[in-house]
Amino acid sequence: MRGFYWLALLPALLLLLGLYVAPLFGVLLISVTEPRPGLGNYELLLTSASVQRALWTTARISLMTTVVTLLLGYVVAYAMRTASGTAQRWMMFWVLFPFWISVLVRSFAWITLLRGEGVINTALRGIGLIEEPLPLVRNELGVVIGMVHAMLPYAILTLYANMRGIDLRLMAAARGLGAGRTAAFLRVFLPLTRPGILGATVLVFILSLGFYVTPAILGGGKTLMIAEYVALQINETLRWGLGTMLATTLMIAVLGLMWTLSRVLDVKKLFGPG
Amino acid sequence: MTDRPSYDEQRHLDAIEHFRDRTEGRAIDRRGFLAICAALGIPAGAAHLTPAAAQGTPREMVLVNWGGDAVRGMRTAWVEPYTRATGRRVAIDGTGPSTGRIRLMVQSGRVTWDVMDRNLHTALEIGPEGMLEEIDYSIVDRSKVRPEHANRWGVGNYTYAHVLTYNTRRWGGRVPSTWKDVWDVRGFPGRRAFRRTIDGALEAALMADGVARDRIYPIDMKRALDGHRAIKANTIYYNAIAEGQAAFRDNEVHLGLLLNTRSWPLKQDTNGGCDYTFNEGIVWVAAWMVPKNPPSGRQVWEFIRSTQEPESQVTLLRSNGYGPVNPAASAGLPPDLAAIDPGHPANYARMLPGGVEWYAEHATNALQQYLDAISS
Repeated sequence: MRGFYWLALLPALLLLLGLYVAPLFGVLLISVTEPRPGLGNYELLLTSASVQRALWTTARISLMTTVVTLLLGYVVAYAMRTASGTAQRWMMFWVLFPFWISVLVRSFAWITLLRGEGVINTALRGIGLIEEPLPLVRNELGVVIGMVHAMLPYAILTLYANMRGIDLRLMAAARGLGAGRTAAFLRVFLPLTRPGILGATVLVFILSLGFYVTPAILGGGKTLMIAEYVALQINETLRWGLGTMLATTLMIAVLGLMWTLSRVLDVKKLFGPG
Repeated sequence: MTDRPSYDEQRHLDAIEHFRDRTEGRAIDRRGFLAICAALGIPAGAAHLTPAAAQGTPREMVLVNWGGDAVRGMRTAWVEPYTRATGRRVAIDGTGPSTGRIRLMVQSGRVTWDVMDRNLHTALEIGPEGMLEEIDYSIVDRSKVRPEHANRWGVGNYTYAHVLTYNTRRWGGRVPSTWKDVWDVRGFPGRRAFRRTIDGALEAALMADGVARDRIYPIDMKRALDGHRAIKANTIYYNAIAEGQAAFRDNEVHLGLLLNTRSWPLKQDTNGGCDYTFNEGIVWVAAWMVPKNPPSGRQVWEFIRSTQEPESQVTLLRSNGYGPVNPAASAGLPPDLAAIDPGHPANYARMLPGGVEWYAEHATNALQQYLDAISS
């Protein structure tokens, strides 16, 4: 019987090998063969200021996005965990809602909200809080806002799945034993959500590394992240060796993060006791 | 019953049309074709879906341009007259013939494009690498373009210009008229706009810094990039040209660089709230290029020749603001059209002709340096 299951898996496996793994290997190969055989492209990681700037920008923005997303996401997930059934369902609906809208549309929507004569700046000026419009978009702040918005559902769902597995009576027990609200949260609930926090952090950070559309639109053309840098090498400057090297580097970094996560964390546990 | 097809029927017809386009002639043999028809439940005979390989009719030619209004404009000005005259059909693919895609297509040996709307310096850049067919000047008429607008791998199809575009209401009646004004952040406060491509942006920075027009090329990269570093905090660098147009329209930016083909509709959309000048503009020639071994073979040269007719070029100027590349078309223009034609002598004289040779040699490195300079 077991053998049959393996046999049933075979077509999907072959499909993956032929259409995914083989081309991926091709990409790896280009990174060590173009423009000439060797590790010259990987040397650029250490020597090229241009490559380093793109990597640093990517890391910086991904990190900011992760921190803000986690903070906001944790609050929402906690509220969902403690809300009543109906409220919980509505909250879930509103968390998932942006998921159904294309990233492109969301980015342009943010521009409409945040630009100099956009909804927010106009309102703030209307009530006399500011004189000049605040620079909310077409800069790194705009990129982070757009990315946090896109990443929030991932963080919330991961955290919520983890929190659902926590018995809220533990908090009541802590209160009963004399802990205040804050102490009960900090010493009982928060430590129990550690796997959720770790999982959400890694997930959000990894997904942030590959952002392409959002920085291109909200960054005012001055935020060159790694995904766009790769696209540029493939489409415009035709330095495919450099482009594929960066793609490979990104992939190795992501796999490394996943591996680390799996070492410190039982991934099954992350999504609740099941 | 109405005689107009319902939405579903129309979709079905579109699918059949698309299916026919994809199968005519080459990709699939007759047996495979009939097998697919059977699998999809389409009666091949009833739908007249017979692969052309069996019938000997020519397949459709594919023209690749950059989409948007250019699809409709080129269809009206060039494709429809050609189809009427020859009976041959031309499909327009607006997804953009970027260099990477050309390279990928030619190297894979499965070329599906016939003619591409690009420019002269790219022709000089990738022609020598074997990506392009040499223009067949025994069919394409060299005398219908200025001598500098025809080279071995590309022949001009229209002119366009990077022009100084500005908001007319922001500075109390004053408007910028030179790139120096654009770099004058105190004199003209407001957000600047440039594109994330080097053509035009580098030249503008040098002119603003006082370099004489005849001394722009070869471009002093350091000087040009220093110029952009100086204003980048006050500047949006847009990707798609339509994005730049929208930024002007929405008052997100107030002065900077845009293509004349966008500045002109912008002026109309904003009822004169935005305007542009050809003064210190950078004028370019777009060009037809043909990928190596195009599927339609030699027919592509006849199509290109048909686009050289002055009337068709005037049509495209009227609909899209593309300047006629054929001087004969510019000569007889009424004043309202002459005013928007970058190739018209009065406008052309105020502009800098883009340095095709410099770009052919340096574009790739310069683009990377430019993006590095404007990125934080």
